[in-house]
Amino acid sequence: MSEPILKIRNIESFYGPIMAIRGVSLDVHPGRIVSILGANGAGKTTLMKTVSGVMDPEKGTIEFDGRQIQGSEPHKVVQQGIVHVPEGREVFPLLTVDENLSLGAYTSNDKAQIERDRELVFNYFPILKERRNQESGTLSGGQQQMLAIGRGLMANPKIMLLDEPSLGLSPLLVQEIFEILKRLNEEQNMTMMLVEQNASAALNLAHDGYVMEVGRIVMDGTAAALMASEDIQNFYLGVQEEGARETRRWKRKKTWR
Amino acid sequence: MVAPTLPAQTEINGVSFNANPGQRPVFVDGSDTIVSLFQKRCADLGRRTAHREKDFGIWKTYSWADYWQHAKWIGMGLRKLGLQRGEVVSILSEDRKEWAYSDLGIQCVGGIASGVYTTDSASQLAYLINDSDSRFLILENEEQLDKFLQIEAEVPGLLNVIILEDEGLHDLEHHRCIMIDDLYEIGRQAEQDEPGVFETEIELARPEDTALLIYTSGTTGKPKGGMLCHENVMSGIEAGAHRLPTYDTDEQLCFLPLCHILERNVSIYFPLAAKSTVNFAESPETVFANLQEVSPATFVAVPRVWEKIYSQVLILTQEATPTGRIAFGLAIKAGMERAEYLLANKPVPAGVAAKFWFWDQLVLRNLRRMLGMDKMRRGGSGAAPISPELLKWYWSIGVPLLEGWGMTETAGLGSINTMEENKVGTIGKAVPGYDIRIADDGEIQTKGLNNFQGYWRNNEKTAETFTADGWLRTGDVGRMDDEGFLTITGRLKDIIITAGGKNITPAEIESRLKFSHFISDAVIIGDRRKYLTALIMIDQENVEKYAQDNKIPFSNFASLCAAQEVKDLIAKEVNAVNKEFARVEQIKDFRLIDVLLTAEDEELTATMKLKRSYVEKAHAHLIDDMY
Repeated sequence: MSEPILKIRNIESFYGPIMAIRGVSLDVHPGRIVSILGANGAGKTTLMKTVSGVMDPEKGTIEFDGRQIQGSEPHKVVQQGIVHVPEGREVFPLLTVDENLSLGAYTSNDKAQIERDRELVFNYFPILKERRNQESGTLSGGQQQMLAIGRGLMANPKIMLLDEPSLGLSPLLVQEIFEILKRLNEEQNMTMMLVEQNASAALNLAHDGYVMEVGRIVMDGTAAALMASEDIQNFYLGVQEEGARETRRWKRKKTWR
Repeated sequence: MVAPTLPAQTEINGVSFNANPGQRPVFVDGSDTIVSLFQKRCADLGRRTAHREKDFGIWKTYSWADYWQHAKWIGMGLRKLGLQRGEVVSILSEDRKEWAYSDLGIQCVGGIASGVYTTDSASQLAYLINDSDSRFLILENEEQLDKFLQIEAEVPGLLNVIILEDEGLHDLEHHRCIMIDDLYEIGRQAEQDEPGVFETEIELARPEDTALLIYTSGTTGKPKGGMLCHENVMSGIEAGAHRLPTYDTDEQLCFLPLCHILERNVSIYFPLAAKSTVNFAESPETVFANLQEVSPATFVAVPRVWEKIYSQVLILTQEATPTGRIAFGLAIKAGMERAEYLLANKPVPAGVAAKFWFWDQLVLRNLRRMLGMDKMRRGGSGAAPISPELLKWYWSIGVPLLEGWGMTETAGLGSINTMEENKVGTIGKAVPGYDIRIADDGEIQTKGLNNFQGYWRNNEKTAETFTADGWLRTGDVGRMDDEGFLTITGRLKDIIITAGGKNITPAEIESRLKFSHFISDAVIIGDRRKYLTALIMIDQENVEKYAQDNKIPFSNFASLCAAQEVKDLIAKEVNAVNKEFARVEQIKDFRLIDVLLTAEDEELTATMKLKRSYVEKAHAHLIDDMY
């Protein structure tokens, strides 16, 4: 396989005295979709924020495209080609769809390029073209999520960090958005790092996966290998183990192998 | 019943014992069986607190009267359901008050209590039920129930299953299963119908009657049920009282499995004599929090737990402010200086004591409070060897930690260090009334009332365990110094004979390896081989911390074990150990076990020790790789 485009090594991040990430190392190879799974509070979002420069790591290095970027200002990170689509969409509600998209291209001065990117976004998300003059606060949740992803695409990134794109969306919409992400990956060769609670959707989309628990990675492998693991099936994919009784409630202990 | 002629008595902390330990019958406050002592205590102490247990996050107290009442219902209930004297009841539960209630209830009506580890698999459970010929199984919850349901066809001799927690099981309808409340009701009814029977049953107990079965973890072959009679346990209580002073005001924390003789003695039988209060930890995972809450007067744990607490403190100090770190370092230094005198049994010079007092006020007192050790009069370590450095460290922070030794076959307590007589690195002197000798082949052999009765329905193994002149062959190899302090060097059957014909006791090398903070356990390989090698299980927490501090990238446990730097680290530890041994005893190569083993795995005992035979089998490819 090629050199990883994103190399994270021994990252530690804190919220005040609380260590949210306790030494995480992972690789993202170009053109791959890497999914990070984990329960609430495992440190997934913190990891994303640390990569995008919103948070500074206490220790460790982040190497992107051969350059160390840990501790850089977020806008510098965006210029390097890393875009972070935050959890909960965070579109600017009083601005129109078009204006939101333009903000996504804030780091670029190349008008022609911006328009090409806008067309690309509209190509993938035709609904945004229909609603381009509507205030984005009035869009549905799914459309706002599309706008957030579209806004990210406007920065013409090399890698997209997607934080919970399925949050609060109906299963059908999740399917639709994940379908588009898949096309983006295949057609634009877009590298993605995806944080998800919806493990089955995430593993179906991703090539590789990491499982985080309380700030550490406990398991990693290809998406197929993870899906085959009994622990993943039990704790993330909701597969009930064969039990002696139908109404079984207890779960066995995790072993992560 | 109190025998008409009580031998000369002596009083220890308000409890009377035979003046001459080792004399038959063993009397504790005039009782010569566990159950009559239990009856006396409950009658005398009544509303006083016997146990504490957490219920939805709040500590609740349960009295000696509750203890008596529930044990009575369980005993009478089981009797009503068909339990005969001399029959076995198995208990499959984490530590909780009902464990004690059941243990005593079963024994009071002449039954034999046998504990099963909650980590045992369904097939292991089937084996234990059938081998012990259990009539009843008391189990904790739906998780354990499912084990029974998987094997119910294989255990035809079992009459009923009693379930302690009904959570998730309201709809359960099974002809062999009842809830504990149903059993209490049956017991209550039986008591009304036949008042006084329970007390009569208690009187029927003789000191030589088998009271409990303790299955040995069986590092080789199938587990064997060690039979302990009332006298064995009573003499254990007597020995404990002599060597481990406990007061009726003492708080204790119970968290090791009660199936193991160590916790069983410490948390069920010793408190019967000492009248101390036992607090049950919520779960094995919450021990450290519970320790803080309870702040016990005495605390007995396995070395692994003491190591964990130590590493937590180290990690905390590394993250402290520079001033804090310096203060801590000076405090430990002052503590170590004082500990040297204490451990050598020499008076502490005034200067050293003053320095310690200063740092104690400033640092160590707070540390002990934080750990829940501020009221700790004595800590105990057993069931595996503990590193002398670690013992000293605890003494230096003002926690007197003593190492002892015992096994199921010696009713738990064989030898122990005490506050007065302590030699770090040894397992102490034989307990009063107990004789220990070293046989010609180096085996430690014991004689006294503690010696168990034999293995349940296994005369062949029992015969192998005793010498012709009636001494117990412990299987441990060791030596005794002029003053009578014992040191264990290994297990007899583990002795490795290398291809060169040299006899080596691997346990000695293994325990040296384990003393490293980075190594949690190790197994030495080399029988009929050219040289020695080792399979090593790393200590996850400490090695992860090391990797993190040294910027060694890893993702999961396997990649941590695969990291060259980690291998180098362990190689360094192995080399340090090698220096202490002769050439033939040196480890030429090693491999790390890169799966994170849990208590459910066959390779580990319930006390998290590696089982040699299983490890050799499961990791044969790693071994072959080294030769």
